[in-house]
Amino acid sequence: MENTGVSKYTISFGLALALASVANGLLVVAKEKIPAVLAGMQQLTGNHWISHGVIILGLFALFGWLFGQANGGQGIKMTANRLIGALVAGVATGGLIILGFYLIGD
Amino acid sequence: MNELVLMAHVMFGVACLVTTLWVFVDVLNVSESNQGRIRKMSCATAIFMWLAFLIAGYWYVFSYPVDKAIILKGPWPFAHSFFMETKEHLVILLLMLATYLPIAAAGNLPANQDARRVVLWVAGMVVLLALMMEGDGAMIAMGVKVGLLAGHN
Repeated sequence: MENTGVSKYTISFGLALALASVANGLLVVAKEKIPAVLAGMQQLTGNHWISHGVIILGLFALFGWLFGQANGGQGIKMTANRLIGALVAGVATGGLIILGFYLIGD
Repeated sequence: MNELVLMAHVMFGVACLVTTLWVFVDVLNVSESNQGRIRKMSCATAIFMWLAFLIAGYWYVFSYPVDKAIILKGPWPFAHSFFMETKEHLVILLLMLATYLPIAAAGNLPANQDARRVVLWVAGMVVLLALMMEGDGAMIAMGVKVGLLAGHN
C-alpha cells in the first residue's frame, strides 16, 4: 500500500515559494512605479536587482523556516493537492504580474 | 572573457534544464533502485541553477550596460524593455523552484504518490520556466545583433 502526505519541509518551503513568487511580482511593480522604492533598493546593495534578489530569496528562506516551526515544530499540515494548487497559483500569479506589467503596465 | 562568462551562464542553464528533465522522467519510473539518482540529479539541478544565476548576475551588473545601450538605440528596443526586464525577474522564480526541487525530492518517492506528484509539478514548472529563459536570452542576443548591424548600415 502506498504512503500519502508530504513532509514538513516540502510543505513549508512550498508555501514559502508561492508567497515569495507573488512578493517578487509585487516588488517589481513597486520599484518600477515608486521612485523611492527603487532608490532605496539601489542604496541597499548598490544595485536594485541584487537587492531584489536578496529580499525575495530571504523571504523564501525565512518563511520556509517559519512555516516549518508552526504547530509546535510539526509544521503546517496540508494535503498534497492543496500544496500543488498553492505552488502553481503562486508561481503563475507572480509570473503573470511580471509579464503583464512589462507588457502593458510599464 | 565576457563572452566566455555569458556562455558559461547558458551552459549551466541548459545543464539545469537537462537534469530537471532527467528527474521528471526518473520520477515517472521511480523505484528503490533510482531513488538515489533522483536525489543526486535534483541537487545537481539546484547547483547548476545557482551557478547559472550567479554568473548571470556578475555579467548583468558589470557587462550588460554596454549591450543595453546598443539594444535601446537599435531597432529592437523591446529586447531589453520586455525580454530582459521579464527575464531578470522571472529567473528568481526559477531559482527558487530549482532550489526547492531537492527538498521535494528528499521524501520516500517509491512509496509515496503525493511526494511524487509534488516533484513532478515542480520539475515541470522548472522546465517551462527554463525554456522561457532560454528564449528570452535568444531575443536579447538578437537585440544586440540587430542593434550592431543597424549601426554599421
